[in-house]
Amino acid sequence: MSVIKIENLVHDYGGGKGVFDISFHVNQGEAFGFLGPNGAGKTTTIRHLMGFLKPTSGRCTIDGLDCWSERDKVQAKLGYIPGEINFFDDMSGTEFLKFIAEYRKIGSQNRKEELLERFELDPKSKIKKMSKGTKQKLGIIAAFMHDPDILILDEPTSGLDPLMQSRFVSLVAEEKEHGKTVLMSSHMFEEVERTCDRIGIIRKGKMITVDSAVTLHERHTRSYTVTLENEAIAKAFATDFDGICNGTKVTVTTKQSLEEIFMNYYGGGEND
Amino acid sequence: MINMALYKREMKGSIKLLIIFSAIITLYVSVIIYMYDPQMTKMLDSFVEVMPELMAAVGMKANTTNLLGFMVSYLYGFILVIFPMLFCILRGNALIAKYVDKGSMVSLVAAPVKRRTIALTQMQVLISGILLLIVYSTILELICAESGFPGELDITTLFILNGGLLCLHLFIGSICFLSSCIFSDTKYSIALGAGIPAFMYVLQMLANVGGNAEKAKYFTFFILFNPDGIIIGESSAIVGTFILFAGAIVLYVLGIMIFERKDLHI
Repeated sequence: MSVIKIENLVHDYGGGKGVFDISFHVNQGEAFGFLGPNGAGKTTTIRHLMGFLKPTSGRCTIDGLDCWSERDKVQAKLGYIPGEINFFDDMSGTEFLKFIAEYRKIGSQNRKEELLERFELDPKSKIKKMSKGTKQKLGIIAAFMHDPDILILDEPTSGLDPLMQSRFVSLVAEEKEHGKTVLMSSHMFEEVERTCDRIGIIRKGKMITVDSAVTLHERHTRSYTVTLENEAIAKAFATDFDGICNGTKVTVTTKQSLEEIFMNYYGGGEND
Repeated sequence: MINMALYKREMKGSIKLLIIFSAIITLYVSVIIYMYDPQMTKMLDSFVEVMPELMAAVGMKANTTNLLGFMVSYLYGFILVIFPMLFCILRGNALIAKYVDKGSMVSLVAAPVKRRTIALTQMQVLISGILLLIVYSTILELICAESGFPGELDITTLFILNGGLLCLHLFIGSICFLSSCIFSDTKYSIALGAGIPAFMYVLQMLANVGGNAEKAKYFTFFILFNPDGIIIGESSAIVGTFILFAGAIVLYVLGIMIFERKDLHI
């Protein structure tokens, strides 16, 4: 059953900017990765789902509710991490989380403490003085603390260190196990690949492909198996090149960058 | 139709400005009222004689006959117009446009709260601030007048006069609020929200000086607020007050409707 549905969405900013005829859906309990380079239209699409923008044509629905005209009802089910974190600078993190809880009327029974611990965040300082990563953590907590059924995450790991990135990935995986629906945008293939079941790729406002993560992975990785002289060397080789060691044999996998994947779809027609 | 969490936050944000403007109003109002004494009035009148244009520009005229007339002449042309107006401009811009411009509006719209509720709450924050300033000024005037010149102030007329002043500021506030709702860029929001009232005030000053410029007064909304007319019960002054009030309602509603329908690039 599709929870998030985007049908023929068009929003033309003029001058070739915007999104053009985007369609895809995300099923209940599924994690959908939304990939694309900077300025491809990921955030514009997400803003339509959030009810910030009105589609020029086409429509977006979440749980059957129109994202523009019934946005307040839609919002009750959503957790959202904005692509750019701009919270009230004059507040401290603690004040902000308290404000959001009161503003959303979610009461004190929420996941705030658990999440603060998980991301090792001390929210006492002023938001103005927080680093990008700390602000991002605060954004994650604000999005997850009311335990929403649907998560819309716009480049959620930007600014996080690798340890926190992997904690975030496991959080998303857990949520998915609990039947939550996730839409996550990113410009990093690896990140989306680790988290998502299906992946949609957008470029210049147009959907290029929507496929399962496994298929895309197979299409865009190559594996080599090499045989080394002895097991010690094989082990060292496996460590150095991040391969899988099996006796004297080591399998290494290469990954293409997103740009290369685009090149793949456009046959080198990247320059324009 | 109001979100208390947001209302509380924003009223906290208004406190600093309210305190500063109340302090300035306290200073001027008390000094001016205590100056009401035949000798001092003569001194003020002598200012008017020496520099009639400058004094007239800020609405100060000589030969006022009673305490209320004196107050109208020396308070209602400048101090009680300018400071609440500054409050409207600063807060009006900060309540909507600044959040949209900076992107922090995300926290407010990414929640199960209608945009109409957000805008209505912010409007009530602005109106509450205006109301607090006018009510405070009224109480202050009463205290100063009654302590300095017991029984000389026509209290009922003062209430009507300040009701008119309230309508003027509600109207100015509605211009700032509307401009804040229209523009997603603080630059333009301030240009219109501050520009219109400030430009009209300058026109009014020019018109007060008299001469050829006098016709300019017909091009400003300040003509609708006529304190001299209100205290002598002129019906046209009362009508002007009602027009300001009705205009304020129209502009606030318009602002809310625009904010509800606009695209937010945040």
